[in-house]
Amino acid sequence: MAWRLYALELSRLEGTAGEVLSGAVWEEGYPARFEPLEAPWEARRAPPVPWPEPLYFVDGRERAEAVLSDGRRLALLGCVAAGALVYRQGNMGLLETRVRRVGVGLEEALRLGGLVYEPLPLEGGPGPGDPLPALQEGLRKARALLEEEVAGGLTGGLLIVDGPVRLRRRDPVLGYIKTHWARYLPEGKEALLFALKPGERTPMFRVHRGGQALASWYLRLPLPPEGVRPPESGLLRVETPLQEGASALADLSLSLFPALASHPVKDPRAPQNLLPVGGLERELARRMGSREVVGRLLARHLGGG
Amino acid sequence: MERVGVVLGSREATPLEFFVGVEGQGLLRLDDLVVVEGYHPKVGKVRYFGMVDHVAKVHEGESFDTDIFLAVEGKIPVSLAYVAHVSVTRILPEEFFPPDPGSPVYLAQGEDLELALYYDAMRNQRGSTTLPAGFLKNGEVAYLNLEFLNGVKGGHVNISGISGVAAKTSYATFLLKSLLESGVLEDAHQAKVLLFNVKGEDLLFLDKPNLRLSEEARRDYERLGLPPTPFGSVAFRAPPRKEGEGILPDVETRLEGVRAYHWDLVQFAQKGLLPFLFTDKGALTNLGFLVAHVTEKLRRLAEGQKGPHLLVADWPEGELAEGITFDDLGRVRLKSFSDLVRYLEYKLLGPETGEGEGDRTWVARQARGTLEAFIRRLRASVENVGHLVRGDRKGHPPDPLEGGEQVHVVDLAKLSPQGQMFVVGSLLSDLFAKKERGQYRGRVFVVLDELNKYAPRDEESPIKDVLLDIAERGRSLGVILIGAQQTASEVERRVVGNAAIRVVGRLDAAEAERPEYRHLPPSFRQRALILPQGSVILSQPEIPVPLLVRFPFPAWATKREEVLEDNSAEALRREFF
Repeated sequence: MAWRLYALELSRLEGTAGEVLSGAVWEEGYPARFEPLEAPWEARRAPPVPWPEPLYFVDGRERAEAVLSDGRRLALLGCVAAGALVYRQGNMGLLETRVRRVGVGLEEALRLGGLVYEPLPLEGGPGPGDPLPALQEGLRKARALLEEEVAGGLTGGLLIVDGPVRLRRRDPVLGYIKTHWARYLPEGKEALLFALKPGERTPMFRVHRGGQALASWYLRLPLPPEGVRPPESGLLRVETPLQEGASALADLSLSLFPALASHPVKDPRAPQNLLPVGGLERELARRMGSREVVGRLLARHLGGG
Repeated sequence: MERVGVVLGSREATPLEFFVGVEGQGLLRLDDLVVVEGYHPKVGKVRYFGMVDHVAKVHEGESFDTDIFLAVEGKIPVSLAYVAHVSVTRILPEEFFPPDPGSPVYLAQGEDLELALYYDAMRNQRGSTTLPAGFLKNGEVAYLNLEFLNGVKGGHVNISGISGVAAKTSYATFLLKSLLESGVLEDAHQAKVLLFNVKGEDLLFLDKPNLRLSEEARRDYERLGLPPTPFGSVAFRAPPRKEGEGILPDVETRLEGVRAYHWDLVQFAQKGLLPFLFTDKGALTNLGFLVAHVTEKLRRLAEGQKGPHLLVADWPEGELAEGITFDDLGRVRLKSFSDLVRYLEYKLLGPETGEGEGDRTWVARQARGTLEAFIRRLRASVENVGHLVRGDRKGHPPDPLEGGEQVHVVDLAKLSPQGQMFVVGSLLSDLFAKKERGQYRGRVFVVLDELNKYAPRDEESPIKDVLLDIAERGRSLGVILIGAQQTASEVERRVVGNAAIRVVGRLDAAEAERPEYRHLPPSFRQRALILPQGSVILSQPEIPVPLLVRFPFPAWATKREEVLEDNSAEALRREFF
């Protein structure tokens, strides 16, 4: 059974970074389950503290490279990458990167020239209707898996991950969420979000996810020039497993994230796309190889779409 | 072999130049020599030898200059790229296909270095012709191919550089040292050197050890295979003082061992030195003919005379100035240059009183204006050369081909420009004539600074003709010119162009951009602006890239204060007895 190239370009809808808070929906069980961990409910500041060392950042990237068809089914070839940065002795350096090519919906590995796509069977089989979202979800999972793999190898220090905290780690970990799809605060408390100034945070509140108890808070990143701005811009939600020291981490986050906020001149996703993570993403993109070269290689081996 | 990096793939790699990514702790500097191996199944192994002429470090992938601040604060990871550009000097065997990106790059050392710089090709039937020319940046000895210096395949050296940075004269004397004492030049003992001292009295201590010669410099000489000693056999000649009785050399810092030189009137006439007083021959077309004519008349006049004074028979008594006397045969004795000028004035313009006419056989049908211009110029030169051309005692001009000394230093520093021209022109034409007649078999090296004065690009002069002659025909006759000037752009193209070996010291920024320096790649022209003392850029025909060469501190004194006094009993005895 031969796979043939179906399409190189995916016309998929991508979520934009500037999703407005007002359009967000309640996280499951909220606002009824809202439970503040600190009182009173007002903006908090903290004196600056030095960054702990080593300080790790982990982030991943995914790229759909082609959709294949064997006549009956579709498969998605993609590339996922994850990498870690470490801040040590005043230097931010690249620690490691891993790149993996996967074929979502394949049963066996596909070798095309120098590229090898590992099979990643579709969970639950192809659903009814449009198969594309399921394939993309498979790619996302592969990326998350790789990120966890990279993060799992880092011990000691403080780990900062892009997105919600999912992995279990003995040493402290912070997750940050850039776009706010879900609402966690009851309406009476949300007003504080709009009043937060750069470098301030809300008190911590409890978040439940998949049987894990987390402490979370919002903080405001600087977005030059300061002044009038949409209320959601520069808002970051940070979370950490609810355990001893969570409040110290919340205070530390005020020394950490605002300092790493990117500048709108250089990054359209400023300020939430943190500086080191932006650098890491560029690095990962490089290591995934040129999109064009991969496309040509696939076209040569699999024929036109 | 020390691996330093790999050939880049993000930039074009060609057989003539390529980029190298320096890896890890690797170090590549300007002037480092590298070797890369290439392979193609149809050709086999090919080795590329090259020299680094550009090195750069950059944070790659960063699009904003201000990203550096974030990098310094440790906020973004950066990737440091250390890249070198290599100009290929040689491909072995000569198969011009490009090296593969990713090929390992090694430092060229030992045998590889010799291959990279063609040292292996610098030999003739009798052995190696590598002449030590200084040190490369990596500390290895740099060589010149002697055959491009001694006239076999090429000859002449041209040195450019602004003054005061101790490059031109110092390097010229160092080259002489190497030529005479390295043993590479086979008949070095027969070679003669004529060295003109144009400024100060720098060259008047060539035979004295230098007080400031350090142990390190001594080791430098040792590694070059040269003795760290001053020149052994040197004659010093200086012009006589203008005033005062007797003939004393006009020098200030060196008091012993310098002999004065001058010509007597008979020598002046016989050797035909008159044209060297007329440096603006081109100013009047007819003046040139007149000068040639009078020169010839004087030559005939002096035939058979012994000097030092010139005897003339056709100068009526009434015209005689004071001090001029008759000899036994009733002839008039010209005892000084001004006497000669007055005599010529009489012959060309007639008696001083009245509008007389000159002697027809002397005026050569020239218009009176021309004759007057001739006399005016001649009169003006009395002050400049009156002490150099005299009739009161036997002339004793410098002659590098005679006497036991190997090196002849002729001091010009105290002379007026016209005097300098006269001495340089007279000596060189005499020297060249003797070599042409085959009177001396050994090679003669002539060191002359300020070539722009003697062989200017835009003017004509008899001295320029002599220099052109030497530049164009000298190498076959064994006369090698080691010329120097501040700006090569002001020197006659053919004089510079005939030099096989070009040396560039520190240059003025505007000068470095002139076409005369196009033989240097841009990076070298840039570096010529910041060359430190004791370094020069050396170009030679066989090596396609110039070499940045450091030469050792002179082992000979270059001024009075540097002279290492010899106070041994032996030396004192020599001085007193």
